[in-house]
Amino acid sequence: MEATQTYLRPQTIDEALTLADHYSGDFSYVAGGTDLFVNRFQGNNQPGCLIDITRIGELQNVAVENQTLKIGALVKLEQLRNFPAIAKHFPALIEAAGAVGSPMVRRTGTIGGNILCENRCTYYNQSAFVREAINYCLKSGGDICIATGGTKACFSEFVSDTAPVLISLDARLEIADTDGLHISQLEDIYTGDGIRPRNISKTAIIKAIVLPLEREFRSVFKKLSPRNSVDFTSLTSAVSLDKNGRVKIVLGGVSPKPVLLETTLHDDLASLVKEALKQCKTVENDVYSRLYRRKMIEVFLQESFEELLME
Amino acid sequence: MEHIHLTVNNKKYEVLVEPFDNLSTVLRERVELTGTKIGCEQGSCGACTVLVNDIPVLSCITPALRCDGASILTIEGVATNGCLHPLQEKFVEKGAIQCGFCTPGMVITALAFLKENPTPTIEEIKKAISGNMCRCTGYKKIIEAIAEAAPLLQEEGTEPVKPYAAAIDGKAIDETKGDQSEGYQVVGKGRPYIDARKKVTGEAQYADDFQFKNTLYCKFLRSIYPHARIKSIDTGEAEELPGLRYILTGKELTEKFGVLPISQDQTALAIDKVIYTGEIVAAVAADTEAIAVEAVKRIRVKYKQLKPCLTIQEALEPLGERDEPIHPHCREGKNIHKRASLRFGNQKKGLEEAAHRCRMHFEFDGLNHAFTEPHACTAYNDANDNLTIIASTQVPHYLHRTLSKVLNVPLDKIRVIKPYLGGGFGGKGDPFAHEIIAAHLTRKTGKPVKIRLSREEVFLTNHGRHPTELDMELGMDSEGRFQVLDADIRIDGGAFGSFGVVTTYYNGVLLQAPYKIDNLGFDACRVYTNKPPSGAMRGHGAVNPRFAMEMIIDELAHRVGIDPCELRMKNFLPANTHTVGQYRITSNGVREALQTVMEQSEWEKRYGKLPHGQGLGVACGFFISGSALPIIWNEYPQSVVHLKVDFDGRVVVYSGASDIGQGSDTMLAMIVAEVLGLNIGQIYVHAADTLMTPVDLGSYSSRVTFMAGNAAKMAAENLRQEILNSVSAKKGVQVNKLETRNRRIISKDREVDLSWQEAIDIATAHRGALTTSGYYISPQLGGDFKGAGAGLSPSYSFGAVVVEVRVNLDTGQVSVEKLWGAHDCGKALNPLAVEGQLEGSWHMGMGQALSESMKYHDGLIVNPNLLDYKIPTAMDIPEMHTNIIESCDPEGPFGAKECGEGALHPVVPAIANAVFDAVGVRITKLPISPEAILEGVKEREKMATVLND
Repeated sequence: MEATQTYLRPQTIDEALTLADHYSGDFSYVAGGTDLFVNRFQGNNQPGCLIDITRIGELQNVAVENQTLKIGALVKLEQLRNFPAIAKHFPALIEAAGAVGSPMVRRTGTIGGNILCENRCTYYNQSAFVREAINYCLKSGGDICIATGGTKACFSEFVSDTAPVLISLDARLEIADTDGLHISQLEDIYTGDGIRPRNISKTAIIKAIVLPLEREFRSVFKKLSPRNSVDFTSLTSAVSLDKNGRVKIVLGGVSPKPVLLETTLHDDLASLVKEALKQCKTVENDVYSRLYRRKMIEVFLQESFEELLME
Repeated sequence: MEHIHLTVNNKKYEVLVEPFDNLSTVLRERVELTGTKIGCEQGSCGACTVLVNDIPVLSCITPALRCDGASILTIEGVATNGCLHPLQEKFVEKGAIQCGFCTPGMVITALAFLKENPTPTIEEIKKAISGNMCRCTGYKKIIEAIAEAAPLLQEEGTEPVKPYAAAIDGKAIDETKGDQSEGYQVVGKGRPYIDARKKVTGEAQYADDFQFKNTLYCKFLRSIYPHARIKSIDTGEAEELPGLRYILTGKELTEKFGVLPISQDQTALAIDKVIYTGEIVAAVAADTEAIAVEAVKRIRVKYKQLKPCLTIQEALEPLGERDEPIHPHCREGKNIHKRASLRFGNQKKGLEEAAHRCRMHFEFDGLNHAFTEPHACTAYNDANDNLTIIASTQVPHYLHRTLSKVLNVPLDKIRVIKPYLGGGFGGKGDPFAHEIIAAHLTRKTGKPVKIRLSREEVFLTNHGRHPTELDMELGMDSEGRFQVLDADIRIDGGAFGSFGVVTTYYNGVLLQAPYKIDNLGFDACRVYTNKPPSGAMRGHGAVNPRFAMEMIIDELAHRVGIDPCELRMKNFLPANTHTVGQYRITSNGVREALQTVMEQSEWEKRYGKLPHGQGLGVACGFFISGSALPIIWNEYPQSVVHLKVDFDGRVVVYSGASDIGQGSDTMLAMIVAEVLGLNIGQIYVHAADTLMTPVDLGSYSSRVTFMAGNAAKMAAENLRQEILNSVSAKKGVQVNKLETRNRRIISKDREVDLSWQEAIDIATAHRGALTTSGYYISPQLGGDFKGAGAGLSPSYSFGAVVVEVRVNLDTGQVSVEKLWGAHDCGKALNPLAVEGQLEGSWHMGMGQALSESMKYHDGLIVNPNLLDYKIPTAMDIPEMHTNIIESCDPEGPFGAKECGEGALHPVVPAIANAVFDAVGVRITKLPISPEAILEGVKEREKMATVLND
């Protein structure tokens, strides 16, 4: 039987941080929970204490402040489209949010939760029985990566659909923690280590995602999956062009962290693709093969550039 | 434990919950509203959808404590005061409900959606329900129901408008479908299932919905190795757990079983060794599920690993001196289970004389049925102390026999009840280890024992489509007539026999139609491997070779430069003939089926002429309508139906046939109503309870409409005769002057004009209730050679499909845009149900063609869930054009034959053939991978360059 279970529902960030401090060894925050509860069911994350932050009102807002748009971390994926400022300035974010999971997942899942979505792998996202029968991969506490046979690195995939778009828009995070408020570029929270894919402290709470409003972005979002609904990504690409001609390319689903390239629309695409491939640590741990996903990077980038140039 | 307050369906509840309890658990087990279904436990299938404060949520991944104070709507709260909500009415009326297991979640999702978007487009509806998986309907009728409900909700608000009964017997009948009914009153008119209301309100009880006092919960310890000797099982630590009631290991149940008498190769639990990862090694029964789970964790098993055999190739290699065969009875010093071979005519000569020959190699991944309801059962002792099991089974009769054999309990002390069943497709046709274990534990503990498999355990139990490799060669003469077919087929049976001997034969024998081929032969071989067992799945055994043959036909047509439809037309067998293997073909609508889909798709105008990347593909199909030979050889009929009518005038139908969502209960009621001239509302079906109902061999091999339908018809005719005899004697009118019509018994001259009730008063006078019986036994069929019995059927179904695909030339991804299908079901007794069967078959075939595959790592399935095993969602299905072809079978009830499986066969090759039309690439490995398409396209371009140089 599981150890003592505690489910807490703080009303404020301060209250949540205090609770987190108290249960520091053995807790998880839970927002929508669409990722966390599946992982819990499978035995991949079974803390004794869950701190449900969904009642914290200040995390639910969307506001324009000083040439920026602040999206509260608890805004649900499905709700993003209801905010005119998002629809006007960042339609690709709405598209990306609409590509997450199923309609029900999007109604419960939050934007903050999606950027913190746990990395995935064929050999990790399994029940305790299957992980034991596989003989435990690195991320499950074993000695060998089942996907590669290596012993050093875990290549679980970064699968957030919204984070690549947000990163391409130069999103920053407002993070509240026991030691105060921090600001971080979104891409900086991802480590590239498949076992511990994010470096924000365990007690930290993402308050808001902050997007610059004055850059006049145009973005193209693409996602590769076998079906038109429900599936996690096998390759996500987000390409954003700002008014100064700066292009930021972000790839998800092909590496333990988002792959970033900064360029202009007039750079040589072939060398960009080459550079992207160099950065991608793609392995055989997905419904599609490593080679196919790598090949699709070129296709997605080509199409994205064409779409941006066409407009 | 914490207290929470919930308002569920406007009723207030105060419930004690564990901190991490899910809302679904609380609703089902504390609030006791079991209409909310659990299909996957991890938020992938949508069956558990409920509204929390008007928002649809997946209750299986929603913490109950979060809902403290919330207002919740479950399916039980959608209808009010006995009145269906207009949306529910539309689900009923449009045939959007088959097995009904996804229905509660689907209705709740649609309800919330229509509130937000009262005037949706079809695309918006598809998107809205794309997180609710349905395996029966192909979504078409669900989408129609939602679309038609939308304006009603606007006009009339969301207030319920009609009492339940109105939806059942009122306007639900589609008048346009009844035109060809030759004067029938009931038959031939599309109508909702008689149990649709129960399903749409959440009242229908599935195997996991039953609660008994003092129930014990059973959980399994499963093998973590594909092949290993069990050295020891230490249960000591588990035994110390308070609340633990029993630990069972294999040694207690040594009697072997299997669905086929010739394949008794399975024990309920592994005894000395395990032969696949996931095999049951120990079972525990405890007061709660949590205790059972903990007890399983505490059991220690020591194994000595043996060399596993995981692929067809490995199984066909001679075993080394130190290698152990999977079963002692493996053949030829290899892990071979069964070889089947038949030869008709002279292949060698045929091949020599063939002007055009094409030989191709094909590979197929294994598939799972992916029915929405995981297996479940509860065993208990009933009021008469029968050892009783309520089980999600397609075949109560085989489970009845198996329990008797394995547990050594007399047949007359066992009762098997099939409750509402959430889809089967062949996957609930075998007797299963968990069912035997539940019954055994009830005997040992004296208490009810409940088992529900997780979705992962469903995949580990499997019995799905065999992974297959095959080589096939087809030759035709210069006139385009098929001369010869030769096939070499290897199928991967996994750990046990199951239906596999039949599968082995079906892979070859069902190639002998719908085309005439005089020189036909095949070698088929089934191997054992250390993987979950394969078995029967919709289209049993014939789907993969059909794919091969239809693709080769397409290729031959292409090479010779003849239209592939024309080539097929040239080679069709006629009606009333025999195949080369002496199948008796009676009714045959294949030509009309193909003609229909050609016309609708504007084939001649468009085939080969669509822009690069778009294509049309065609294929035909053929299947049995009930196996003519029973699995267990005896002289008992294949189906028996009893009817009873008592003083109250209601007619009760007793049948062992299993309604698994395909609508067989409704079919029985319609047939009886038709014969007796009654309304369907006067017929009550009591089915699939081995204490109460006579034997029917179950829902497999597409046999129920033909066999149980004929038995019901005979029983009804006997009842009619008895009633007419009584009326005749009483009124002094000759029997042959009397008829039953419009709920009356009348003579042609109107001298006798009695209401049904008046006639029943006469018929029951001085004797009481009338009971009659009817049965079905197949005629003697087939040749007298070894293997002649395989594939024999009193009738065969035929069909054709054209699909239009679009191939993304950059990604290689295929989307099926349109589908035109036609299926010859003899006579559609219930056209609405037939359409549903066809559309569901096409959906399932699409899954096999494009996305479904059981993936293994060292014998362990690594996609055992509905997220990674990819059945098509509502956003993946094409526009479907559904056509019923009626060839009026001479022996089927009112001319009917099967429609539940045969429609699947043509869709899979039609998609692959359409890909060829679109991009010129032959994909011979399923599922079709975008990667293979891109490689093929590249190869072609390379070839073209070489040629141009």
